[in-house]
Amino acid sequence: MSALPHSGDATTPPAVTRIEHTRLARPNGWWGMAIFVATEATLFGTLIGTYYYLRFNNAHWPPPDVPEPKLTLPLVLTGILVATSLPMQLAVSAAGRGRLVTARVALLVAVVVQAGYLGMQLHLFVHDVHEFPPSRSSYSSIYFTMLGGHHLHVGIGVLLNVWLLLRTATGLTTYRMNALRATAFYWHFVNILALCVVGTQLSPRA
Amino acid sequence: MAVTVREPARQRVDRLERIWAEPRGVFGWLTTTDHKRIGLLYFFTALAFFGAGGIEALLMRAQLSEPNEKLLSPETYDQLMTMHGVTMIFLFVIPMTTGAFGNYLVPLMIGARDMAFPRMNALSYWLFLASGLFMYYSVFTHAAPNAGWFDYVPLALNQFSPGRNIDFYALGLIFNGIASTATAINLIATTFKLRAPGMSMNRMPLFCFAILAVSLSLIFALPSLTADLVFLELQRNLGFHFFDVANGGDPLLWQHLFWLFGHPEVYIIILPAFGIATSIIPTFARRKMIFPLVALAELLVAFIGFGVWAHRMFATGLPTITLVFFAAASMMVVIPSAIQIFAWTVTVALGRPEFRTPLLFIGGFILLFVIGGLSGIMFAAIPFDQATTDTYFVVAHFHFIIFGAAVFPILGGFYYWFPKITGRLYHEGLGKLSFWLTFLGTALTFFPMHILGLIGMPRRVYTYPSSLGWGPYNLSETVGAFILTAGLLVIFGNLVWSRFRGPPAGPDPWHGGTLEWATTSPPPPYNFPVIPVVTSAYPNWDRDDRRADAGRLERGELVLDEGHETPASTVVDAVPDEVVEMPGESPWPLAVALCTALLFVMLLTRHYAVAGIFAAMTLLAVAAWHSQEPQEQ
Amino acid sequence: MREVRKEIRPNRAVFEPGERGGLRRSLVRAGWIATGAAAALVFPAAAWAGDDQNALHPASKQEHSISVLWWVMLAGCSIGFCVVATLLLLGWVRRNRDSLPFGGGDRAGTAIVVGLGVFVPIVVLSSLFVWSDLFLIRTTEAPAANSTRMSIQVIGHDWWWEVRYPGGRAVTANEIHIPVRTRVDVAGTTADVIHSFWVPELNRKADLIPGRVNHLLLDADRPGEYRGQCAEFCGQQHAHMAMYVFADPPDVFRRWLANEERPARQPATAQAREGQHLFLSLPCSGCHMIRGTSADGTIGPDLTHLATRKTLAALTLPNHPPDLARWIEDPQRYKPGSKMPGFSLTSRERDALVAYLEGLK
Repeated sequence: MSALPHSGDATTPPAVTRIEHTRLARPNGWWGMAIFVATEATLFGTLIGTYYYLRFNNAHWPPPDVPEPKLTLPLVLTGILVATSLPMQLAVSAAGRGRLVTARVALLVAVVVQAGYLGMQLHLFVHDVHEFPPSRSSYSSIYFTMLGGHHLHVGIGVLLNVWLLLRTATGLTTYRMNALRATAFYWHFVNILALCVVGTQLSPRA
Repeated sequence: MAVTVREPARQRVDRLERIWAEPRGVFGWLTTTDHKRIGLLYFFTALAFFGAGGIEALLMRAQLSEPNEKLLSPETYDQLMTMHGVTMIFLFVIPMTTGAFGNYLVPLMIGARDMAFPRMNALSYWLFLASGLFMYYSVFTHAAPNAGWFDYVPLALNQFSPGRNIDFYALGLIFNGIASTATAINLIATTFKLRAPGMSMNRMPLFCFAILAVSLSLIFALPSLTADLVFLELQRNLGFHFFDVANGGDPLLWQHLFWLFGHPEVYIIILPAFGIATSIIPTFARRKMIFPLVALAELLVAFIGFGVWAHRMFATGLPTITLVFFAAASMMVVIPSAIQIFAWTVTVALGRPEFRTPLLFIGGFILLFVIGGLSGIMFAAIPFDQATTDTYFVVAHFHFIIFGAAVFPILGGFYYWFPKITGRLYHEGLGKLSFWLTFLGTALTFFPMHILGLIGMPRRVYTYPSSLGWGPYNLSETVGAFILTAGLLVIFGNLVWSRFRGPPAGPDPWHGGTLEWATTSPPPPYNFPVIPVVTSAYPNWDRDDRRADAGRLERGELVLDEGHETPASTVVDAVPDEVVEMPGESPWPLAVALCTALLFVMLLTRHYAVAGIFAAMTLLAVAAWHSQEPQEQ
Repeated sequence: MREVRKEIRPNRAVFEPGERGGLRRSLVRAGWIATGAAAALVFPAAAWAGDDQNALHPASKQEHSISVLWWVMLAGCSIGFCVVATLLLLGWVRRNRDSLPFGGGDRAGTAIVVGLGVFVPIVVLSSLFVWSDLFLIRTTEAPAANSTRMSIQVIGHDWWWEVRYPGGRAVTANEIHIPVRTRVDVAGTTADVIHSFWVPELNRKADLIPGRVNHLLLDADRPGEYRGQCAEFCGQQHAHMAMYVFADPPDVFRRWLANEERPARQPATAQAREGQHLFLSLPCSGCHMIRGTSADGTIGPDLTHLATRKTLAALTLPNHPPDLARWIEDPQRYKPGSKMPGFSLTSRERDALVAYLEGLK
């Protein structure tokens, strides 16, 4: 048992790779993120539940003076966002094999697409707020609350990725590797969330 | 370790002392990441809030001692009543059980050197402290929350509550929820990952199971409260519509979301108490717990707790079929609770119990919990619930649960772990006196409330007429409340006196079965000079294993004296997996908490742009914190 | 190492007294102590005297079934409490013997845990569930449409009750008259926050919620006055939001209703006429309605037949001229937070107002 790997000493890509290969279980940081994601998923479950609760409380959903949600653009945007799960996962596996440059390029690709998505969505958000402000009805209230919550999560994810890019500029440590794994996991969650949120928002069209 | 250490072992221990030492003085406490110090901070802070909540209760009892009493204005009474509930639940019981007991004991019981995320642990504490101060600031501005702890809309909307009162409540609880979530994540990751080699899931102490169940409940229950509170703030301050009928909202939405959190919350409050009981009973009954499936019962209680929320809403006119479903679910919760009660009592009956103060408190807890639990079953009989809900019968029921079932084990726990934390023994005679005062005070305060509810007294009234025959019962409750207070004062007097004058306790005065008794009292900053290896559910009763620990210290196996380290193991079987470098003291958690507090103050005062600046500062502080990697320290 | 071994063994385990009476005596003793303790706690519950708002003094079939449910559950719970207390006392009485009285060891203990913790609760709870939640609930359920003889509308306000009779001609406040032995449907809603309608001697309670109408059956067995009170916290004066339900013999009820439906009487004396003039010129008429006059406010209670009521301000004060005078002058003293402001009146004006209002029979 004295041969246990000391993950704190792993400050070079090859050392990190060694830890990644000998470890039996996922690191603490991954678990922390997984539990955090569980609570966040519940939060969004509550939001979606509220959406349907209010929907079945109202005869007209959306109310007559609100345009029906647009179909194509949100779906395309969501598809692009969901696709960033791939470069995120690529970054994790590349870093785990010690290929730091590949990992950082994948991360950069992901964050550029994600930031573009966020910018586009915020533009649409502002446009919609002017068209049917949240103070008009319970429909627009839950619509913007749910969407705002989702954008907030995307925004935090973008910040996490930017921070990872900055930190990995000086090399790889187990601490950063764990952060990368946790962040990739977070992004997978945000992407699933995006599907749920868009599905809910578009449900009146179904 | 009381064992004489030979030279190489002593050098290793000295090295550990050096590595784990934290700065002295106030600065050390402000930047600490030691779970024991954070546990103590939680303890003293929660205790202070307990005092505040207690004073609020005594003022209310004084106002209600006689019909038509004019001691308090109705507005003051409503603020006291709301703050009493909020304080006792969010600022006393949860921080005391998860924050103080959980923090101090879980790493010790599982043989770890700290929590999984030491800096986040510090952050939890500072956020909790700040959220408590935030809410209590309202008291000094005479704008304390005043719509009751469950804050029903539309009463809580600005149309009927135009002041800042409700904003203090909503923002304060969102804030507090962040702290609780962080604690829960930390406790779950700690119990999953940091257990000593060999402590597979089925060997984890039952106390840790209870804490795990509570943390899981918090993780899944708090979001619905947070969402509810966010909706409320959006509606109050930005004109959103969630709860007003005129714009397509529904006031019952508030209640559904609130109780979706609020009912699991009840189990969040009492589960740690179950855990404390299952720690104290085997020690003083001098045998293992019978029926180890109690651990499963604890998890089941937490799980079923999520399926019963609407039984708080039986009088709201929901369809009968819905009521029947929730009544059935409410009855199911009884079974795991009954399993635990009989497991405790049978263990006591089968053992050779030594009725010291901690066990007396657990005995009192069992009796009070049975009364509270049985009156709880009555609420699953829908017609009876619809008659007595929102009366003093409910107040009686949940005080038997919260005070009897949650606080009694906490008080017993104070006595039980006092020698471990201070290294001294308390005064047994005073301990027994304090138990009887507290027990009789509790019965006298809360039992007559059942009768008051049945003879028609609604809860949350600030006064009542003399013609209804409620006076004598209310007077006896007020007298009981003061006896209870006397009992609590004896407890704290005893503990304070013993802290300075008590005889030395030694590492293991009770011959407890769990690992916290395997180290010195108080434990050193690194908890164990050598990481214990575990082969059963009561590792401190395995003498050979503990002797083997001493041997490994001499050989330098699993001593981990090269850094700020603790072993991490696999989730189910606790096979040691890697040695994790733990972060040490850091000023950043305090800085993050401070920025967050200012963010919430700005939201309260509706300076949204400034709030944005503080949000950015919070993020910067988080980035600064994580730029400091453990191995660089 | 010998030292360590001794230290770790459970303390005081060696103390072993002789048998002190054996199984039967300890069982009996533990049982007695437990029963005594339970009785001491439960006894007062059966001995109260309050009879004005007492859920256990049923005056209707519905409340009768609720109180039977309570007494049965109380009996069951007492037994349950005694069982646990007996076990706990057994532990104390036999604290120096590590077995159960009948000689059982761990296996017997596990059997007790499974038996009393799983099987007994399943049987008892299923029975309770079937009896209370499937059968008894039918008596207290909201009455089916058209199953009642009359429907009255109750609207909660901060902090009083508006009561409207069919056809909307009879409107009163805080004092509900119903015919005895007649099924009356209460259709409850609210004008502001959530209130809860509760007359403990007649039935369960029903919340009054914005946007919803909840129904409750009133069917009094015998004539009488039954006090009720708001049961959902509704703000500052939640404590002063009470009501009476008067169950009248049918002819009394018909006379009362016929009178309520009529517009207000004209003032009979010069003083009362002056009072009426004052009422209509002061802000009073902006909040209160007196049918047959120009007073048409809807914020406060309808005062058309104020003099027929027993109480003022949702049972805060008795309806006597001196109390009415005090109430008009300073309502905030009796009901702080109430929407009714105080008026500074000369004693002549005050007496005139009181004379007018107390003439509204």
